[in-house]
Amino acid sequence: MKFSYSWLCEHLETDKNAIEIGDALTNIGLELESLSDYSLYSKFVVATIKDFKKHPNADRLNICKVDDGTDTYQVICGANNVKRGLKGIFAKDGMYIPGTQIHLKKGKIRGEISEGMLLSERELSLSDDHEGIIELSEDFKNGTSAIEALKLDDPIFEIGITPNRGDCLSIRGVARDLSAKGMGKLKPLKFEKIKKLEFESPISWSIKNDDNSCEYVVSRYFKDVYNTKSPEWLQKKLISIGLRPINALVDITNFITVDLGRPLHVFDADKVGKKLNMRLANSKEKILALDNKDYTLDGNSTVIADSNNALAIAGIIGGDYSRCTENTKNVFLEVAIFNPNSVAKTGRSLGINSDARYRFERGLDKNMVFEGLEYASYLINKICGGSVSKSIDAGKLDTNEHKIKYDFKYFNKVIGLDLEPQTQVKILNDLKFQINERIENVCDVLVPSWRNDVKNEIDIVEEIIRIYGYDNIKVSTPFSSEDEINNIENSIVNKKFKTISKLKKNLVSIGISEVITFSFHSNRAQEILIGDASLKISNAISDDQSFMRNSMIFNHLESAELNFKKGIKNIKLFEIGPIYNSSQSQENILSLLISSQDNTNSIYKSVNFNFYSLTEIVSKLISSLNFDIKKFNISRSTSNIYHPGQSAKVHMGKKLIARYGKVHPLIMEEFPKLKNTYAIELFFENLPIESLSKVNSINISDSQFQFSEKDFSFIFEKEQNLYEVQRYVTGIDKNLIKNVEFFDLYVSKDLGDSSKSVTFRVTIQSKEKTLEEKDLEHLHKNILEKVSNKFKAKIRT
Amino acid sequence: MDIKKVLKEATKEIELSSNQLNLQNIKVAYLGKKGRITELLKSLKNLSLDEKKSVGAELNQLRSEVDNLIKSKFNEIKVEEINSMLKNESIDISFPPPNSISPKVHPISKTFDEVISIFGSMGYSVAEGPDIETDYFNFSALNIPENHPAREMQDTFYIEDKDKDGKPFVLRTHTSPVQIRTLLKEKPPVKIIAPGRTYRCDSDSTHSPMFHQVEGLFINKNANMGNLKGTLIEFCKQFFNVQDLKVRFRPSYFPFTEPSAEMDIAYEIANNKIKLGQGDLWLEILGCGMVNPIVLENCNVDTKNFQGFAFGMGLDRITMLKYGLTDIRSFFSGNLNWIANNGFSIGDF
Repeated sequence: MKFSYSWLCEHLETDKNAIEIGDALTNIGLELESLSDYSLYSKFVVATIKDFKKHPNADRLNICKVDDGTDTYQVICGANNVKRGLKGIFAKDGMYIPGTQIHLKKGKIRGEISEGMLLSERELSLSDDHEGIIELSEDFKNGTSAIEALKLDDPIFEIGITPNRGDCLSIRGVARDLSAKGMGKLKPLKFEKIKKLEFESPISWSIKNDDNSCEYVVSRYFKDVYNTKSPEWLQKKLISIGLRPINALVDITNFITVDLGRPLHVFDADKVGKKLNMRLANSKEKILALDNKDYTLDGNSTVIADSNNALAIAGIIGGDYSRCTENTKNVFLEVAIFNPNSVAKTGRSLGINSDARYRFERGLDKNMVFEGLEYASYLINKICGGSVSKSIDAGKLDTNEHKIKYDFKYFNKVIGLDLEPQTQVKILNDLKFQINERIENVCDVLVPSWRNDVKNEIDIVEEIIRIYGYDNIKVSTPFSSEDEINNIENSIVNKKFKTISKLKKNLVSIGISEVITFSFHSNRAQEILIGDASLKISNAISDDQSFMRNSMIFNHLESAELNFKKGIKNIKLFEIGPIYNSSQSQENILSLLISSQDNTNSIYKSVNFNFYSLTEIVSKLISSLNFDIKKFNISRSTSNIYHPGQSAKVHMGKKLIARYGKVHPLIMEEFPKLKNTYAIELFFENLPIESLSKVNSINISDSQFQFSEKDFSFIFEKEQNLYEVQRYVTGIDKNLIKNVEFFDLYVSKDLGDSSKSVTFRVTIQSKEKTLEEKDLEHLHKNILEKVSNKFKAKIRT
Repeated sequence: MDIKKVLKEATKEIELSSNQLNLQNIKVAYLGKKGRITELLKSLKNLSLDEKKSVGAELNQLRSEVDNLIKSKFNEIKVEEINSMLKNESIDISFPPPNSISPKVHPISKTFDEVISIFGSMGYSVAEGPDIETDYFNFSALNIPENHPAREMQDTFYIEDKDKDGKPFVLRTHTSPVQIRTLLKEKPPVKIIAPGRTYRCDSDSTHSPMFHQVEGLFINKNANMGNLKGTLIEFCKQFFNVQDLKVRFRPSYFPFTEPSAEMDIAYEIANNKIKLGQGDLWLEILGCGMVNPIVLENCNVDTKNFQGFAFGMGLDRITMLKYGLTDIRSFFSGNLNWIANNGFSIGDF
């Protein structure tokens, strides 16, 4: 909310300056967002254009002789309102121009010296006006400071009001809160009640209160008014806070909205019927509002209507048809209490953000109804003349005062500060809360009518500390207890985060960078990767972010493409984050993408990345999590993300641990620039967390006796899983067989389509002795027999 | 006897020899089974005892001299051969390496780690909750009723799927629902932080539709607002690595805390850079407050006996402040150059 210092002082008698007021506002929770500071402007002075002539080298420029009262300067000026005798605001060489954020520098413009500048409003940051230079009244003496000439001695505050503080959406409310903080004394409202209410209002009210949306309405009829421009004091006030003056009647309602926080509405009485009512809108009822937009209402919105038409959307915006113009002769003033919930609902569904809605939905001071009515009547009568009717009302104003039981000790317990009851009572009284029926430390607190946000005992505590000052709360830091340290050590989530950090370190150490991408999928990704359709975001910002992702691969391909376009040829990236299978199933996984161009560097030769390079990474990752990939079940992956012939999935029992392989060519068609692209998805949350967080739990046997190696070649069925073979061979003699490593694959026509020949090397070593030839021969024979029997494999010689 | 002659000839031949094979032949010719020196030694048996003694000594002397000469020539040749091999094997060591992106950990990860560790040292364990939340957990349970203006403070993404109350699921607008989930699951005392992804429909250089927050919650019999201040000041000192830290707590409003506060850190601008800790300008760092008893009651916590505080801060924001980063959108762009420039090596992680 915006207001000027002088306006505030109409409600607050204070000896504090603007900076002190600004600090106090922030300290009581009305955060100062900006305070205009014009001290800089004292250097700009009033000056006269004594003479000017056309610039010889530029049509649009003039060479002006400018007198600032002490000296005469040559100024090149491009404004179209340059004329002899014009008084403007002058800035000299070296001065900082706030609107353009540059320091002026004496120099030549198209060959002619310019020693300063005549300023526009925009250059002074006063408005967006750049139509010409500022023109001042001739009364100002040259050399007068701009602050005086432009009346910039009235600082403007802009404060942020939190949604609970509807009471401070008025200058009076702000003044009231400042006075409780000791920043001054609240002045009484100064207006006179209309003494002669001469006639009965010809228009009457009824409330069809189907939705309790209107509690009370009161009105007066103004006859024979003369609606004209507002007086200067009113126009200036509105301009100072950024509102545009329209005509006296409209300006008066805007003024009271800001001054008292009491929205009101004026109808042109000749444009409305004699019987007005508050009712729910008919379904699809239309109204052209004051903002010149057509709104279609539904049955949940309350309207103000006559027997024919809806005239206004209650508490939100008036209608165009019945608005007051300069031709308005008779006026009907409406002051009502609307239900905050229904105003909020209607305002949101229609998307109207008006000053009235803003205040109604935050709750009004119900006791302000009559002050608003009287103040508006006074101003209308004073400015527009005419005569005023008696009041006409409908409904019943419920001003039940709210009472809260309060224990003074509760404050001390919550805040950690011993504050004497009398100090607390003083603060509450300053805030106009009344203390009743106090028995020792317990009392009843009566909440003032404007504070409908204060409902519970804790809210009283907040009020007291807010005024007492958060700075006065003593700081004490609770450190960890033994129980808490145990909790952390046993926390599964802590262990998981440790595991995640470990994975990140391992991945970076093998040359893979971490990225973080949005949790979203584009329409296209959703289509290709077939995610859950109910995970569509109803109000997505763009088509690129319209679903929740069920995989990170698409995001990573997009990122790879972006990096490729930046000239990065070998892209290796990973992300650890959530994917979403349904609205109630989210899991954190590791997703890794490697996309590499063929290596054409004849000096830095490296083997091109392939599926087996990927297998090595998967195996290392799994072993960094204290598991051995060889102990899991590995089979071909059926996921549509991957190339069916070059991908695998890893299971532990029924749980999926990993999927990896070459990305499916159909997906890669979306990314034609990327070649040779592989991905790994590690579902680490499916591994038992206890094992993950252990340190070094893999046991590798170590022996000092001589080892022996022997190669075996077998012809297996083509789909024979070699992990199985490896596991089986290792199991033939766990004490002696130390390692089984595959190193050759042979497929040929002679073997047939359904067979493959595979060679592996078995490392044999005992922990107890150097093995003799006969022990070895026995074991070799055993391996040959058992493997050929178990897998129906032929021994190849 | 021609011992001297033999020595002279052998010395010359060894001298001239230039490779290992040739030298081996020389060795056989003199010291082999039928070599000249061996033959001479064999012929000793025909001599008298006295001659045997003197000639034998001379011959043995000869044999060992020749043997030594061969051995030292062997070494000489070997060194020469290795030297010439080294020369052949020399390559151009001046090829600059191909450019490669230096792999780094994302700055947000570093912040996650630090936040978990700093609060860990104060006794906070980590908790978590889902990104796709129910309206109840994200709003109502936190005392943000429907139609309340506070709902508009946080422009919410909605999902088409509906929860069991028939309301669309939301993308959590803050990490605060983890407070509710934790309190419904665990009995106080509770001391947790919950870092994670959060979402609001907003996109510019300081707002991203997805961002990160960390929630803190401490409920026990007497956790008070002084403790809250102390905890957060301690965190900021450690996180921003500024011991002499000027801070300000000012009243604010969150429906789920009462009293509520926002914490600002003082800063100044020196050499076009933000310097945190001192100065006359203020930067908002986080929101916090005493947990509103309404929220505790929603979680079936006995408010006669338990109270406490909560806080929430933007992790992207504190990361940007700490490292002087300006555009939040670059955090999530997947740009590897950006990561290489702004991320962290393993040693710094």
